[in-house]
Amino acid sequence: MRRALLGGLVLACSTAPLGVFLILRRMSLIGDAVAHGILPGAALGFWFAGLSLPALTVGGLGAGLGMAGLAAWVTRRTGLREDASLAAIYPISLAAGVLILGVAGKRLDLLHLLFGSALAVDAPTLTGMLWVSGASLIAMAMIYRPLLLDTLDPLFLQTVSRLGPLAHGVFLTLVVLNLVIGFQAIGALMVVGLMMLPAAASRFWSRRLPTLIIIAALLGCLSVWLGLLLSFYFSLPSGPAIVLVAGGLYLLSVIFGPVHGLLRRPPLLTSS
Amino acid sequence: MIHCQALRWGPSGQPLTPSLYLERPRGSLTAIIGANGSGKSSLLKVIGGLQKPLSGTVTLDVPRRGGVSFLPQQQHLDRQFPISLQELVVAGAWGDRHSPAMRNERLRTVLEDWALGGLEQRPLMALSGGELQRALLARLSLTDAPLLLLDEPHAALDEQGQALLWKHIQAWHAEGKTLVVVCHDLAAVRRYVSHTLVVNPSGCTFGRSHDLIAQQPCAGVA
Repeated sequence: MRRALLGGLVLACSTAPLGVFLILRRMSLIGDAVAHGILPGAALGFWFAGLSLPALTVGGLGAGLGMAGLAAWVTRRTGLREDASLAAIYPISLAAGVLILGVAGKRLDLLHLLFGSALAVDAPTLTGMLWVSGASLIAMAMIYRPLLLDTLDPLFLQTVSRLGPLAHGVFLTLVVLNLVIGFQAIGALMVVGLMMLPAAASRFWSRRLPTLIIIAALLGCLSVWLGLLLSFYFSLPSGPAIVLVAGGLYLLSVIFGPVHGLLRRPPLLTSS
Repeated sequence: MIHCQALRWGPSGQPLTPSLYLERPRGSLTAIIGANGSGKSSLLKVIGGLQKPLSGTVTLDVPRRGGVSFLPQQQHLDRQFPISLQELVVAGAWGDRHSPAMRNERLRTVLEDWALGGLEQRPLMALSGGELQRALLARLSLTDAPLLLLDEPHAALDEQGQALLWKHIQAWHAEGKTLVVVCHDLAAVRRYVSHTLVVNPSGCTFGRSHDLIAQQPCAGVA
């Protein structure tokens, strides 16, 4: 339980800036596509190597990056909008994952893979989470400025620096890495919630990017803490508990947030 | 400074005009005019190396990075982006080697130059179109690039803002910078810019602005 809490808290801190930037870059759906994509990869890893952390991680990483890349490739080559190609790719990966698990025999619980079990975070998983979170926070700090400019005004960045594509690549890799390490603790589908919900909620609290990231991290940590408490005392599944708490915080932000929240809308906008 | 050889460009694989040959010397000031969709903005991006030409080459006498500064059209910016005006402008100081004190001084000067004093902490979403345009121009002023490519710099500016813009364009020109300006304001082009390239699907024409633009351009010309 203590391990799950610590792992969840550091994960919430490292996914917060990723989620905020995903929303700013209008790539919110990528998280979902990657999370679904992880499933067949992790299932394959499980099939070949059993329930081992490296196998699940490598499989998930490869498949997650592959799905994100495939979606980007289809979009670029065909002119189909990215959300459509992503929406086409989720069910394929989900079905493939479930099928592989079926073929592999039912030794790995599907529900465990999809929704995780935070209470089963063991020492190696926790170490992995700490490493990934630390590394991704440092990497985000390093690419912060180019990533910010690349998001706001890629043409301008191109004229002053060649870091744009690099920052984008590092960013996507970090997203996949965090989702992969997170899915073992709170599940492939739930970790996206932990990444996106606090980020979406934070937009109702500030107009400044650094503040947004800090608020998202705080909301994420609060969700992990409250969610784990709830799941412990009422014996609820932990992944959904965490994400539902985050969802509750999001709804509260939508209603009460000072920046374009429903109750705080500036008079100019309500008169329309 | 700018050498275009048999240049063809276009957004989707179809060249918009016949091949373009154009030479502009260092320190020149050139306007690009033409109808909507004729490919003015794309040409500017091709010159700046931000878009690949379909065929032909563009050579510049300055490095592509750091030597060229590009003013994008402001509708490409996300107005909801959670940063302040100052954070937008300060990006123009990317990669320069000034001391922090010097940087601050320069930042303050360009903010004053573009009449943006007092708006530093304003978030982007609270800026008017003209204020945002002046902020983009201020960022451009900070870059120190010898070649400036301006895509519709007069957009969203009121009369005062336009006067400020042309004053700066003339000052840059006097400093010896090379400028290419995409502009719909034909009267201003005729008045302030010596040479003009007219982009047209049937072929581009280059010449003196006075010869290419009629004395009193009516709305139909644009």
